[in-house]
Amino acid sequence: MKFAIALFSAAHAPSSRRALLFAQAALAGGHEIVRLFFYQDGVYNASGSVVTPQDEQDLPKQWRTFVSEHQLDGVVCIAAALRRGVLNEEEAQRYQREAVAVGAPWELSGLGQLHDAVQDADRLICFGGA
Amino acid sequence: MAKSLLIISRQAPWSGPSAREALDIVLAGGAFDLPIGLLFLDDGVFQLAATQDAKALQQKDLSANLQALPMFGVEDLFVCADSVAARGLDPKGLSLEEARVLSAQDITALIDRYDQVITL
Amino acid sequence: MSTLHVLSHSPFGDERLSSCLRVIGPNDALLLSGDAAYALQPGTAPFSSLHARNLKLFVLAEDAQARALQVPDWASAIDYPAFVELSIHYDKVNSWL
Repeated sequence: MKFAIALFSAAHAPSSRRALLFAQAALAGGHEIVRLFFYQDGVYNASGSVVTPQDEQDLPKQWRTFVSEHQLDGVVCIAAALRRGVLNEEEAQRYQREAVAVGAPWELSGLGQLHDAVQDADRLICFGGA
Repeated sequence: MAKSLLIISRQAPWSGPSAREALDIVLAGGAFDLPIGLLFLDDGVFQLAATQDAKALQQKDLSANLQALPMFGVEDLFVCADSVAARGLDPKGLSLEEARVLSAQDITALIDRYDQVITL
Repeated sequence: MSTLHVLSHSPFGDERLSSCLRVIGPNDALLLSGDAAYALQPGTAPFSSLHARNLKLFVLAEDAQARALQVPDWASAIDYPAFVELSIHYDKVNSWL
């Protein structure tokens, strides 16, 4: 089965951890993840600026490792990211902002990528809220 | 055949960016000519309240974006009757005339008809 | 067509559970995750609503365990592999974000 997984909540939200565990279980079950799409506060999971307390789960790091290891397509919605200050090098230059918060393996792109994933996948699973 | 996607918008117009970000998904889908539906449920129905003044909060007025939906090819617009009634709104006085007012049973059938759904 | 509805908010002071129960269909199922697991707290209105509905009810085992909630025999505790299987068994997943 082909899954599209969309995440709407920040790294510290319990639903973000659930999304990662679901994604890991999907791959372990022999399924394919066509795309991971981060929208709304989900963009914070791609931020390299997040510093997680040492005694907590470092979700941004775990996501990065997961996406890199399995060579998944990890897309961050550019509009949602800009609004939340999660900028890559290009956008930081464009908007003259100091901090670059996101780089590889994440790609900043539009909602078209979410729709594309929905069309391609057999199942769309969204995580977020709480 | 393209998969259909139903967006269920549950947040009031200015409770953070959620209403706008839900609408952005719909508009993007319409721009790509995809079969998209939009249902206003729970506090989402407040987005269709006839009298609103976003400027009083220095917020963006989404009404214009909502009115533009048919132009983007999004005509499947729905609103939950129970949510409207619970919030004291007039189902005949909503700002989006094209939105069909649905009962709970209709909504069950509606969700069933779509291939995918995002509720935010 | 069947839908797996997923809730993750506490049912206390939140409308998602009641709205979900208004529109959930006869072939659908409901998965309680995160704080939505509190709906299995006995002696509460959400608990009674769920018990009365007789629907296919699942709860993430880790969430029931963390909250020391007993899973009644009319609900099933599942792990992540089972969650993946459920998402395939049902035609689509509707998470109430």
